[in-house]
Amino acid sequence: MHACFAMRSVAAVGLVTAAILGGVATKASAQNVTLEVWSHEADEPAKVAFRELAAKNLEKSRPGAKVKITWYEKNPLFAALKTALPAGKGPDVFYLEPDQVEYITASYVIPLDDLVNWNNIEPWARKVWTHNGKTYGIPQEAYTNELYYDKDALKKLGIALPANGQLTQAQFLEVAKKARAAGMTPISQGVGDRPYPGAYISGEALLRKLGPDDYQKLFTGKLSFADPRVVEVLKWVKELVDAGAYPKNFMTLKLGESHYYFYSKPGAVTLPMGSWYTGRAFVPEDKGGQPEKFPLGIMQYPAMDGGACNQCKTSAIGASFVINAASKQKELAAAFLNAMSTPEMGKMWIETVYLQTGIKADVKNFSGPHAAYFTELMDRQKGVTYFIGSPRDMVTGECKDTFAQVLNSAFPGGLLTVDQAVQMMNKSCYKG
Amino acid sequence: MSISGRLSRFARRNSARPEIDARRAGIGILVVFLAPALLIYAGFTIYPVLRTFYNAFHAIKPHGVVEFVGLGNFTALLLADSIFWKAVSNTAIFTIVATIVDVFGGLLLALCLFARAPLAPLLRVVWFTPVLMSYVVVGIVWVWIYDYDWGLANAVLHWLGLGAYEQSWLGHPSTALSSVLVAHVWKWLGFNMIVFLAALHALPAEVLGAAELDNCGWLAKLVYIIIPMLRATIVNLLVLSFIGKMMVFDLIWIMTGGGPLWSTETVSTYVYKRAFEWNTFDLGYPSAIAVLWFIIILAFIAIMTRLLRQRDRLEF
Amino acid sequence: MATQMRLGFAQLRRLPLVLFVVLYSVVSGGPFLWVATMSLRTTAEIFKNPYGVPSPVHWEKFADAWTKSNYSTYFWNSATVVVVAVALVTVIGSMAAHCLARYRFRGNRFVRFLILSGLVLPPQLLILALFQILLDLDLYNTLTGLVIVYVATHIAMTVYILEGFFAQIPQDLFDAARMDGYSDFEIFWRVTMPIGAPAIFTTVTLNFIILWNEFLFAVVLLTDDAKRTLPLGIMHFTGSHQLDVGMVATGLMIAILPIILIYAFFSEAMIKGMTAGAVR
Repeated sequence: MHACFAMRSVAAVGLVTAAILGGVATKASAQNVTLEVWSHEADEPAKVAFRELAAKNLEKSRPGAKVKITWYEKNPLFAALKTALPAGKGPDVFYLEPDQVEYITASYVIPLDDLVNWNNIEPWARKVWTHNGKTYGIPQEAYTNELYYDKDALKKLGIALPANGQLTQAQFLEVAKKARAAGMTPISQGVGDRPYPGAYISGEALLRKLGPDDYQKLFTGKLSFADPRVVEVLKWVKELVDAGAYPKNFMTLKLGESHYYFYSKPGAVTLPMGSWYTGRAFVPEDKGGQPEKFPLGIMQYPAMDGGACNQCKTSAIGASFVINAASKQKELAAAFLNAMSTPEMGKMWIETVYLQTGIKADVKNFSGPHAAYFTELMDRQKGVTYFIGSPRDMVTGECKDTFAQVLNSAFPGGLLTVDQAVQMMNKSCYKG
Repeated sequence: MSISGRLSRFARRNSARPEIDARRAGIGILVVFLAPALLIYAGFTIYPVLRTFYNAFHAIKPHGVVEFVGLGNFTALLLADSIFWKAVSNTAIFTIVATIVDVFGGLLLALCLFARAPLAPLLRVVWFTPVLMSYVVVGIVWVWIYDYDWGLANAVLHWLGLGAYEQSWLGHPSTALSSVLVAHVWKWLGFNMIVFLAALHALPAEVLGAAELDNCGWLAKLVYIIIPMLRATIVNLLVLSFIGKMMVFDLIWIMTGGGPLWSTETVSTYVYKRAFEWNTFDLGYPSAIAVLWFIIILAFIAIMTRLLRQRDRLEF
Repeated sequence: MATQMRLGFAQLRRLPLVLFVVLYSVVSGGPFLWVATMSLRTTAEIFKNPYGVPSPVHWEKFADAWTKSNYSTYFWNSATVVVVAVALVTVIGSMAAHCLARYRFRGNRFVRFLILSGLVLPPQLLILALFQILLDLDLYNTLTGLVIVYVATHIAMTVYILEGFFAQIPQDLFDAARMDGYSDFEIFWRVTMPIGAPAIFTTVTLNFIILWNEFLFAVVLLTDDAKRTLPLGIMHFTGSHQLDVGMVATGLMIAILPIILIYAFFSEAMIKGMTAGAVR
């Protein structure tokens, strides 16, 4: 099942793939062509190195081909794409995330089913990108929503975490209150430049309280936000907010700044974040990364009282790549996608990015400077039931904008009451 | 100030006298002089305007799909788009407050320098500097000033012992719009100051001297003598500032992007968002917003000109 | 005695004035000085103490910004676009202004109205259609396209200022020139241009500053990193996660410095240029 994070051995498949790739390579024409790639995550050295290596591998196997990767930040990347694509311009290959279905409905990207070698991709990850029987993106990054914490800070508050890393909702509220009383920020989080981080706590809480089926219904308009269970969860979140759980500059704090806020200055007890957190945290300290001796721990999201699925956790696909419908070299573009998705590359991903992946990869013995972290991450996956997809993958149109403004920002920002939040969400999302 | 409008009108009337032929030119000459300007202007200003009007009645979809929707965009805009109305009210508040603060703040600064404040010639140059800065520069600097953790605004409050008022200025709907407004005013005050200063120096000295002799208080002097005499300049600046602020985009886009909770969304940022940020890829709807807004701006200019200018109309 | 008392009183009354003047000078100049100090400090130093004096002074940050980041590209893109656009709009605009101010012909008023109506067009009304048009012409995402748009959108202001000034040049000069057998082009080149030089200089400074700072057209009409102008380049930097405040401050200074340098030498001309439209 998908849950095992692509860790299983698929060496045989990998060998076959390599052979196929090699075959394709010899067929390639020797004329000089440049493949344009636009990628996000300019500030994550491990991912930059990963994709540049794939580019180099492709160039080696295809004499005359050149891969030019332009590195962007997320918002400028999509601003550029939104003007370039209607123009029939833009790069051959670009970064996309599964919630951005508008690129698919506008036919700016092409189905990859016959172009890409899917044997190297986890079927569950492929499914995330499948719409009406066609697959549009090659999933690269997989992640789970985790609740990171500062082990020393928790100790300082005199709170002992059980071995399974599980607190109840009341205990977590207690952490927040104690932290505030001690002058610490309980949860580092900011929504200054992203439409989702503010909803980590409420999202996971809703998933646990409602269970996967009702959770899905809630974000696809089939369950009202006025449902008593939803209201109960929001009331608990509101208690956290009122206890001063979030930073004072929550509304303007940017994603990267919220990481820095957590591990350096001024410091916070917890940081709810996708497990891709490490992509930016595990860079040298003088480059803004996490201090080497930072006591990073992972706890489970709080168990909800009467929760239908307290072992549930969100798992989702992040960074993925697609091919521009206007590209004149789709075959070469597909070869680049394949070059990024070999089992060897999958292994490198896990070992250097410290993150799960949608690529099938064989990593049995994990070593390296952050081995302990990765072991803890794997420990926190034991006995977990995954829900695939984050709320923003499920909401569309006006509901998406309202989700970003209300559940992500204004509600955790303390600007709305539970009733107001319920009413605003229902107005744009609930179709029942 | 160059030569006043009245003089130029006089000169024009004077030279309207039938002259030999220096005022006549063959059609060829006219074409050579005017064609470059007219061609580029027609192609890249008039045609885009017409095309925007055309777009406003269509849905412009990806891959060159154009569907006629009649007044559909406008009815949706007027009847069902709550964000648009939020944007309209924000823009209106921003425009009115910023215009008044800008013009009368500028007058105040000009009066300070006119009252022979020390170093006035130097200050005149220094106070004008923000006018030369781009919105990108001003926006980024003010985002830093408003930063909760290390920004100047909170640091100053802290230093003054007003720590209780420290807050996330751009992060709360109740302060975000006014915070952006302060940054905007900061940039433009110097502009209005310079214009007023020029107008003040052009005032006949005898009148001010007479007021001095009458032992008139400075407030009375300001209200009864200076402001009436500066009326034309004030009107001019009000209209100019008003037009500029109705179109405000850059600063808001850079500082808040319209948030939080749409509290700084203006019509211009909303046009941009609907065109390039929303997941619709439709250029028709944002064009309709732009068209509607243009009509409203025109109406306001007409009303303001009529109300304020009376006899002295817009010069062109 | 009485005058002395009045003087003393006047002096006292001036105290609030002086205080206000000092306060406003701090408000208007302070942020700028703050950025200047930050541009010479590293981000780590800034986060330790945002208001410290640069010590040691990191001059090398300017070299770093110039060589390691793309600031040099952005700078030269801006310089190219602005210089070409200002040159074009000045030549084209003064020709049109001369024609409108000097010659009486059928349609004069109409052409004038047409061009000057550009003064009240909001950029939002143009931007979406300009986007489509530049796409059709294959000029989207090119500096050439941006130059054309800049020229087209700044003709109105240029003609407005120049035409007003040219109209004030005494007609006798032109009559005399005509008598001397000057052709229409010689009249433009040898009479209008030299006499109108101050006004032309005014429009040049005005257009230069506005275009150097322009953001909206550039953000919609350019996408390539290699084609970005300075304002876009700086925005690109601030979009980053790990906000490198120190480097952004250096970038801001690089964007401001040309303007400040010119301002130091030509402050009167620049003040006149910026306010030309309002004063007339």
